[in-house]
Amino acid sequence: MASSGRLAALSVGVAIGAVAAYALLLRVPVVRNHPEAYVVAFALAAALAVLAMVRARARRWPAWLALFLSSLLLVAGGWYNFVGARVPETPTALRVGERPPDFTLPDAAGRPVSLADYQGKKPVVLVFYRGYW
Amino acid sequence: MAELRGLGARLSEAEQAGIAIIAVSPDPNERSQKLADGFRLGYRFLADRDLAVTRRYGLVHAGGGPDGDVPRPATVVLDRDGVVRWFSVSRNVQVRPDPDDVLRAVRAL
Repeated sequence: MASSGRLAALSVGVAIGAVAAYALLLRVPVVRNHPEAYVVAFALAAALAVLAMVRARARRWPAWLALFLSSLLLVAGGWYNFVGARVPETPTALRVGERPPDFTLPDAAGRPVSLADYQGKKPVVLVFYRGYW
Repeated sequence: MAELRGLGARLSEAEQAGIAIIAVSPDPNERSQKLADGFRLGYRFLADRDLAVTRRYGLVHAGGGPDGDVPRPATVVLDRDGVVRWFSVSRNVQVRPDPDDVLRAVRAL
């Protein structure tokens, strides 16, 4: 049977470990594309903290601290992943098997580039991204 | 940027020469282009300052950025004839297509 103090330490470790792992491994597609994993880790940390609370006798503050930290992360992380980071669905002009609308836009040097420039020459990977951040 | 680098790093030099990677964002892109050139990735960054093209594609995330509208992250693979063969549009700002999936679509052309 693990003591309350150990459970509280484990809870904090899981919570901080999840934040660190997500931040450090953001470039790894499987980590980046499964952000719900950190929410699961925060839930686990909260469960450990509750267990620490139940087991606590004299010294309660480590369990309180673990519970405070893990529930804060669980609420904030859960909200961000399931609400804040959601991108609303929009009807797109993209259909497999069809040509998308042509366009002309300036490149970094100001030269105009059209999608049609590549037609009959090269396959194109077209990426829309949010900008430099 | 992470997904762009991931894709470039997985393509051989011959494959890089054989396809065009076009990245569209509302940024002026000088920095992005410098960065990509530094990694020796053959990307062309195009500036869609007012999101007009992004809007025509139906890829605007209304109010999604600190200053208003931003693009929905999307990746489209077009064959030599300019026909869409594969695409992916993000439903969570944290998520991007796996470069391996993009690569599979490119290699299947």
